[in-house]
Amino acid sequence: MRATAGTFTALAVALALLVTGCSTAPSDASSTTYVPPTSASPAPTPAAPPPVATVDVPTVSSALDQNQVPLALVPQRIRVDSLGIDMSIESVGLAADGAMELPKDPSVAAWYRFGPSPASAAGATVVAAHVDSLVYDIGPFAELASASAGTEIVVTTEDGQDRRYAVESVQTVTKQDVPWDSIFDRSGPNRLTLVTCGGEFDYEALRYLSNVIVSANPIP
Amino acid sequence: MHKSLKIGMTAGALGALVALGGIAPAQAAEDVAKLSVLHGVPGLTVDVYVNNELTLDDFKPGDLAGPLDLPAGTYTVAITASDAADASAPAIGPVDLPLEAGKNYTAVAHLDADGKPTATLFTNDISQLAAGEGRLTVRHVAAAPAVDVLANDAVAITALTNPNESVLTLPAGTISAAVAATGTTDPVIGPADVNVAEGTNTIVYAWGSLTDTNLALAIQTIDGLHSNPDSIPAGEAGLVATNQANDSTGLMVGGFAAVLMGLVAAAVVGMRRLSGARR
Repeated sequence: MRATAGTFTALAVALALLVTGCSTAPSDASSTTYVPPTSASPAPTPAAPPPVATVDVPTVSSALDQNQVPLALVPQRIRVDSLGIDMSIESVGLAADGAMELPKDPSVAAWYRFGPSPASAAGATVVAAHVDSLVYDIGPFAELASASAGTEIVVTTEDGQDRRYAVESVQTVTKQDVPWDSIFDRSGPNRLTLVTCGGEFDYEALRYLSNVIVSANPIP
Repeated sequence: MHKSLKIGMTAGALGALVALGGIAPAQAAEDVAKLSVLHGVPGLTVDVYVNNELTLDDFKPGDLAGPLDLPAGTYTVAITASDAADASAPAIGPVDLPLEAGKNYTAVAHLDADGKPTATLFTNDISQLAAGEGRLTVRHVAAAPAVDVLANDAVAITALTNPNESVLTLPAGTISAAVAATGTTDPVIGPADVNVAEGTNTIVYAWGSLTDTNLALAIQTIDGLHSNPDSIPAGEAGLVATNQANDSTGLMVGGFAAVLMGLVAAAVVGMRRLSGARR
């Protein structure tokens, strides 16, 4: 429906431009500006009883059941068969320090519920999991570092639908260099971004120095 | 802030410029004002004229138009019956709307508290929200006395009068919203679920007429006001590290204690592995 409105708008714009362009009458006969031949002059406008809007402004119903931000379709499971990954996904928000919240258990993945979901029209669905834990050992996402381009990822959403993605890239980026606004991008094509930790470890602070970031695109 | 907003010179904006501005100089996003129009007068299909140009034809009650990107300036808006030949005999207005660049407005045609048609220009709060938060704006544009707004059965806004608004910042999520006469909890509208979406200004209008028993809620949303998490700390044991605890080329490891902590961690996990293997 929006696309249709857009099309009409574009048409209206084209018409408006045409009308504006054509109706600019020569200002003065003695002026040196180009005067179009009479055959190019606009036809005299007939008396128009009902006026017509010059632009088509997109209009929607403001009714509560039609104009709210739709609730996202929740992803519930992620599988990467070639890497032996099969994990449930929790919906998470933010930790107290402004980081994305993660389940303690590295065998449970987390979806950032304020961002796009696999059913969203645009943007990156972000799914992350701990790579390891002092309590739970190494998690399945440790395998992501060895994913290759084309590796298939399947995310199951709450409607039971499997959504398939193909890995485009696997990057290990030092944490201070990760562009978080583009990781959590809500615009651009629908895509999947998996995040865990990796690279070198700071044995004093007990933290990895890098994030492992997997970018994947929907398989049509 | 503007970077995250979806402001752009769209085809519609260009059309608006041509139609409304006459001249259409190149405009940067922050040089334009955004204007939406809400029709909140029950039972009256209208035409909306902006600077004497018919802009909204057969605009119906409850409809929301826009947003239009307009060059900053003052626009004269007249609202006529839908079969009017021009803007000379408006039902509402003409009113002058001063629009500033970089701001976001909604012009609402509505009833005043006594039931007389009028128009009000509201400025929408498009300041950035913290990650996890949503903004709820409630506007009273109904022919009704002062109201309270209940969110999840608790009074969230008190004594809101026509044509005023109240703006709340809330943890994002769905609330059950109801409108009641001030000092009461018996809803005259709702309760209804409202998604106070994250990073979005969710604007709820109470419109219609109490005496005509056609009070209703209208909704407008402005997204792109969000912030993002600033990190994903996703590991704590170093079990898949590409460096060793005593690897001086990898990073500076401070002192024996840190090494010991790493060893203890490894030992704990090792023991768990052993016990796991035994099971």
